[in-house]
Amino acid sequence: MKKIVLLAALLAGCGGKAVFGLSSSNDNDPQALAKALDLRQMSAAPKPIGGSARAYVVTSGKPRHLIAFDLAGEKAAWNVAADVQSRVAVGGDFVVAREGTDLVARSASDGAVRWKMPIDGQFVGAAADDKRAYVVTQTGTDQKPTWYLIALDGGSGKQLWRTPSTGQLGAPAAQGGLVMAPFLTQWLSILDGATGAQLTRVRSTDDEITFAMTTSDAAWFGSKRSVVRLDEKAATGARGTSTTGMAKIPAQLEKATYAPDGFDAVQAGYSASDRVRILWRADAKGDAWKWQGGGVAVHYFRYVLGLDEAGAVRWAYSHPKVELVASAHTGAAIAAVSAGGEVIALDPATGAVRAHAQLDTGGAPVIGATFDADGWSPSGAGEPPSTVQALVAIARDRDARFEGVKELAVGTLAKLPGEQVTRDLLAMLADERTSAKLKETVIGVLASRDDPAGLPALIEALGVKSDVIAGTEPIAVGAVARAVGALAKQPLDEKQKAAAVDALIGQLRAPSTSVGDAVDVVHALAALGGAAAKAPLRTYLLVYRTDAEFAKADALVAATVDATLAAGADDRELVRFVADDARTQPAVADYAKKALAR
Amino acid sequence: MRIVRVVLGAALAAGFVAPAMAQAKAKPPAPPAAAKDAAAKSKVKPGPVGPLAAALVGGDVDAAAKAAASLGDDPTPAAHEALLDALSTGLAPKAAAPALESLAKHPAPADVAVLLVYAGHRDDDVRAAAVAALGAYPDPLAKKAGVAALGDDTEKVRAAAASAVAKGKWREGVDRLMALLDKGDAAAPPALAALADADLAHSIAEHLGNAPAATLAVTLGMILKRADFPEPAKLEVVRAIAKIPGAEATGALTDYLEATPEKPPRKSRAEAEKIVEARLAGGGAQ
Repeated sequence: MKKIVLLAALLAGCGGKAVFGLSSSNDNDPQALAKALDLRQMSAAPKPIGGSARAYVVTSGKPRHLIAFDLAGEKAAWNVAADVQSRVAVGGDFVVAREGTDLVARSASDGAVRWKMPIDGQFVGAAADDKRAYVVTQTGTDQKPTWYLIALDGGSGKQLWRTPSTGQLGAPAAQGGLVMAPFLTQWLSILDGATGAQLTRVRSTDDEITFAMTTSDAAWFGSKRSVVRLDEKAATGARGTSTTGMAKIPAQLEKATYAPDGFDAVQAGYSASDRVRILWRADAKGDAWKWQGGGVAVHYFRYVLGLDEAGAVRWAYSHPKVELVASAHTGAAIAAVSAGGEVIALDPATGAVRAHAQLDTGGAPVIGATFDADGWSPSGAGEPPSTVQALVAIARDRDARFEGVKELAVGTLAKLPGEQVTRDLLAMLADERTSAKLKETVIGVLASRDDPAGLPALIEALGVKSDVIAGTEPIAVGAVARAVGALAKQPLDEKQKAAAVDALIGQLRAPSTSVGDAVDVVHALAALGGAAAKAPLRTYLLVYRTDAEFAKADALVAATVDATLAAGADDRELVRFVADDARTQPAVADYAKKALAR
Repeated sequence: MRIVRVVLGAALAAGFVAPAMAQAKAKPPAPPAAAKDAAAKSKVKPGPVGPLAAALVGGDVDAAAKAAASLGDDPTPAAHEALLDALSTGLAPKAAAPALESLAKHPAPADVAVLLVYAGHRDDDVRAAAVAALGAYPDPLAKKAGVAALGDDTEKVRAAAASAVAKGKWREGVDRLMALLDKGDAAAPPALAALADADLAHSIAEHLGNAPAATLAVTLGMILKRADFPEPAKLEVVRAIAKIPGAEATGALTDYLEATPEKPPRKSRAEAEKIVEARLAGGGAQ
């Protein structure tokens, strides 16, 4: 914010044209805003601006290609060589993008070049509505830059007007005859697309404005933190009094954004930021903010996670093998395209794959796409994805970039019941490719699952013995023992309980069990109780009380003595014997005496 | 000690020292036949075990270790009982290892439960002693534990397990010994050699290419040295060794020549002689 104030002070001395000035009588005027918004020519129902649902896909290679993919027909409408270097903006019957050093408009019907305009300076961003294209460029020097918002006729490319700004302009958005331009990250200027006249401005008083965007039913602006519906309440200038959405996003996904940053030159084109996106739709009308579908989704590289309004994962989709490079929420579906050219549509409520098509890219990887698919609802119903499998796939992904989301996946898995979940968590522990940090997370959640359904998997894990011939070794014995012990307070099947005790005894007897793990095993045996569990503890105490190494392990001594003492009167006599017998290591005897005195 | 045993009786009965051990506590076992026989033949006159038994359960670990070893020389049931009793209620590793060796000198069925406990002891020496002792017991649980111990993380325990498998003539251990052979584990050769008949020797020879040449040569060389191994099969073993490259194979054959008198003439020896001569002359697989 300090940066803005400094820049504002500089600009105040520069004067300049009123459209993008620092002061304006049009700031935060609800009536003017309502009037401006009423000028928009909007469709009655959500629909693509181009008429039919499409994805405009850019592939890499020399030359690059621009492919118009008809989502309903699942086939390419056209495919042309085009050196697309920016996002593609979609107009009524044309698309526009930076190609090389020109702004190029192509016919939406066949991809043929309709007109070109050399870009003077740097391209900042482009937008289009039914009739016009709008582009923001930056010229001049670093010391004295000037930005221009230029309107061009979509049919002919004729320049309709051009407005300069000595303050930084972000990528514009356009809708039904209005063009919206973020200005100095503090204002959203709303201009008449036909004349370039400024109709009003929203001045944000408590957050940045880093993007403006449209859906077919509303216009929106916002920042990394929040998204605001452009309605009369936006003229209050404050997030708290505007119609504002702030999705609860898990910390591990905090890089995800609502829209591309209109001030970031990198994000003027398709970039990695498109792979970490909050996919959302909100009601276009109504007093309060309401996420459609009861939450949002987050596209995170190969994965799409459906979140409820509390930020909890409600479904997960894992795309096979390659990353999803672009995605959009159409209102009825989440559309995405992969680097390999697969076009998918997910049900926003369940994550079910409702459409899947393969785009012929000639083998060239997809680098980005723009969806013009508002309201598109694929006919397929699809089966909801196995959230468990998707979460496991996320958690076991080898890509080191995903550590955070892996933790989220593991944390989410921990809350899901079922033996398979426990097995998957155990498999993560056994996988040598799982990072140490993630293993710690898995270990933490194993014990907290408290799911009796997972007991067979835990027993199986404890049943593994260290064997150099078989090449086996038990994994995370302590963590698994803790998980078993945590189940002791639940009603358990007696056979399973007996099997759990046997497995724990096996690990207690195994020389490969570390002292730390043995403590957990002893605790688990004590928790499960019963004669079968107590007996081995007594023998363990008798045999090891004479061992100097055992005596050094304070926690193990305490656990063993305490567990034995808690077993009953006979066991108290045993502990007394241990405390008094000459063979007992002094440290063990001391603890036994203190424990007896308690 | 008797008082302790009475006090601990209930606990031990419920402990993992198993019902057999509990029975031993409730009713001291009759002297095993082997022990009686050994006692009859022993040149050491059995004496009162009281002082040794007391030392065994005293606070002096060195004295306990000595007592443990001495009690093994005493074939009387009382000595055996003292060892079993002390092991049942816990001995320091330094005393437990000799106590286990001593116990197995006069094996009794009730010992197995205790040996199984110590076969999982965290101390390598104790575990090795217990595992080695298992070989003296024709008990399914002893066999199972002995064969399992072939996969122990510690080399000396694997060696002890191999010796137990050989001593017990547990054919169930052959597959795992073969696996150790392929790994070049030093535990495998003596046990495999001890267990080998003609068929097993053939199987061992077929591990050429899978097992390290040196380990394979040593194993087959040990078989050759067995006086009870049949001559026709020895010839096959010699020929198998001839296919193994390296000094160990030559050494195995040389050792065989040195250990075997020239007369009566044996085809295996003659063949070995030819192979060694050829190898020393620079030919063959050397």
